[in-house]
Amino acid sequence: MAVEPLLQVRALAHRFGAVQVLNDVNLEVPAAGVVGLIGPNGSGKTTLFNLISGYIEPVGGRIDFAGHPMAGLPVERRSRAGLMRTFQTPKVFESMSVLENVMLGCAQPARGGMLAEMFALPAAGRALAGMRERAERLCQRFELGELRDAPTRSLPAGQRRVLEICRAVAAGPRLLMLDEPSSGLNDAEVRALERWIHALRDDGIAVLLVSHDMGLMAAVDRVHLLCNGELLASGPMAQLKDDPRVREVYLGA
Amino acid sequence: MKPPLRWLVPLLVIWAAAPFLMPHAINDLLVFATLYYLSGLGVGLALGQAGIVNLGQALFFGIGAYASAYFSTRGVPMPVGLLVGALLAAGLAALLGYGILRLHGFFLGLATLALGIMGHVLFFEWDGITGGSIGVGGIPQVSLFGFTLDSSERHYYFAGAVAMLATWVAHNLMRGRTGLMMRAARDSGEAALSLGISLHRLRTAVFALCALLGSVAGSLFAHYVTFVSVDSFGLMKSLTFLLVPVLGGMRCWPGMVAGALFVTFVPYLLSRLGDIHQVLFGLAMIAVVVVLPNGLSSIAVMLREAWRARRSVAAPAVARPGPQAPSHRPEVRHGR
Repeated sequence: MAVEPLLQVRALAHRFGAVQVLNDVNLEVPAAGVVGLIGPNGSGKTTLFNLISGYIEPVGGRIDFAGHPMAGLPVERRSRAGLMRTFQTPKVFESMSVLENVMLGCAQPARGGMLAEMFALPAAGRALAGMRERAERLCQRFELGELRDAPTRSLPAGQRRVLEICRAVAAGPRLLMLDEPSSGLNDAEVRALERWIHALRDDGIAVLLVSHDMGLMAAVDRVHLLCNGELLASGPMAQLKDDPRVREVYLGA
Repeated sequence: MKPPLRWLVPLLVIWAAAPFLMPHAINDLLVFATLYYLSGLGVGLALGQAGIVNLGQALFFGIGAYASAYFSTRGVPMPVGLLVGALLAAGLAALLGYGILRLHGFFLGLATLALGIMGHVLFFEWDGITGGSIGVGGIPQVSLFGFTLDSSERHYYFAGAVAMLATWVAHNLMRGRTGLMMRAARDSGEAALSLGISLHRLRTAVFALCALLGSVAGSLFAHYVTFVSVDSFGLMKSLTFLLVPVLGGMRCWPGMVAGALFVTFVPYLLSRLGDIHQVLFGLAMIAVVVVLPNGLSSIAVMLREAWRARRSVAAPAVARPGPQAPSHRPEVRHGR
C-alpha cells in the first residue's frame, strides 16, 4: 500500500464570480517532499495557496492534510495542524523587532498561560524565555542573528522574505508553502534559500513552492505547471523543460 | 532610579496625598474617577489592543453592582458578591463575545450598543433582583479584616489599590506573550492567523477581561453609594467609560487616568456655569479629540520630545543617559 501523501488536493475548483480561476487541480505533496509550482502570472498559483491555507473556501473539490479533510477549517486551525505559508508580499509585523517577529512564530502553543501571565508568575516568564531562546536559535540559522534587534520596518525586501520564512519555521510546520520566496533576493540569498529548503527537507518538513527561479526549481522533486487554472504538466524540472507545452506557455521559447 | 520609577514614585505620592489636600466634595469625585478609570481601563484594553468598540460596558458595570447589592443586603460578605459579579460578567462577555466578536468596527460597536441597551431593559424588568425602578438600597459598608470603609477617603484608597492591581495585571499581560500577539494582530491579522494565532480567541479573552474590570468597578460603586438604581447603568454610563480611553489615550494607563479625571472633573467644574454646562462639556470633548486625536496622553509625549530636543540642542556632545522607552513597554506606543 502506498504511503498517504501529506497534502492531497483533489479536483479542486474555484471561481471568482463568473471567472473560473482553478479547474480540476490534482496535486500531492509527500511528507518531506519538495514540490514546485510554476505558471504564468494570473494562472491561479496564489489562489491555490489561499485555498490550501484556508483564506478562501473552494467551490469544488477537496483538500486533505495529514489524512484530515480541511474543508471548513479556519486558517489558524490549519496552521496549528502544521500547514504554514508565506505570502507573495511578505507580511511581517512592522512595529516589532526581527526577534519579536520570530518569537510570534512560537507564540501559539498556548496552554492557558494567560492567568500566569497576568500575575507575573514564574511559569509565564519561563514560557517567554523559552520563546526567546528558540527564536534566537532560528535567527542564527537563517542568518538574521545580527539583525535580531533591528526594527522590521527598516528591513530590505530580501530580508523581509527570509524573516517571514524563519518565522514560519518557528511555528513548527509539517508543510511549508512558499509563495515566490526568491523574488527580491540577490543571488547569494537565493543560494542560501536553496540550502535552507534542503535543510528543511532533512528535518522532515515538506515544501510546496511557487517560483519563477529556474535554478530553484531544478532542486525540486516534482514540478507542476499551472496555466489558466489547470495543471498542464507534471514531472521533474529536467523533464518538464523539454515538454513542448511548457516551452510554449511558460518558457516562451 | 530606573526611568519608570522616576515618574511612578511622584505619581504615587500625589495619589496618596490627594485626600489630604482636597476638600471633601472633591474627594467624593476622586472615588468616582477611580471607578471610571477601572472600568475605562477594560474598555481601553479592548479598544486599544483588540480594536473592540465597547458601547455596552454599563451592562457589566451593572452586573457587578447588582451582584454586590444582592449578596451584601443578604448578609453575605463583600468579596462573594464582587467575585460572583466578576465571574458572571466575564463569563457572559466570553459567551456573547464568541458570537459578536466576529464583527468588526462600527458593526461591532452597534452590537455592543445593543447589549448595553438590553442590559438596561433587563435591569429595569428583573425587579426581583434589581428592584426595578425603585432600586436596591441599604447596601452595607465594606468591612475587611476589621477595617471598615466608612468614609470617602477610605473608599478612595481601597478603590485605588484595586485599580493599581488591575493596572499591574493589564501591564503584565501587554508586555508578555498576549501583548505580543495583540500587536501582531494589529500589524497583520492575516500573518498572525498563518502562525496559528487565533484572533477570535484573543479578542474574546480581552473582552472578558474588559467585562471583569467593569464588574469590579460596579461592585465597588454599589458599596460606595450604598444604593443602586437602574439610572446608573444606562447608555450615558457606557459612553462615559468609552470616553476614558478615547479622550485619555487607549494604549497607556496614564492616559486613561487622565481620561477618567477629565470625565469626572470637567463636568463638575463646568456645572458651576449653569444650565449650559452639558453643551460646554460636549465642546470640551470635541476640542480634545480635534486637538489631541491620540488623547490627552499625547501631551506627555509632546512634552518629552520637546524636552529631549531642548537637551540635545543645549548639550549636543553629551550622550543621553540610559535607554528611554525600552521596547518591553508596548502599551505606551501610539499608532500602529
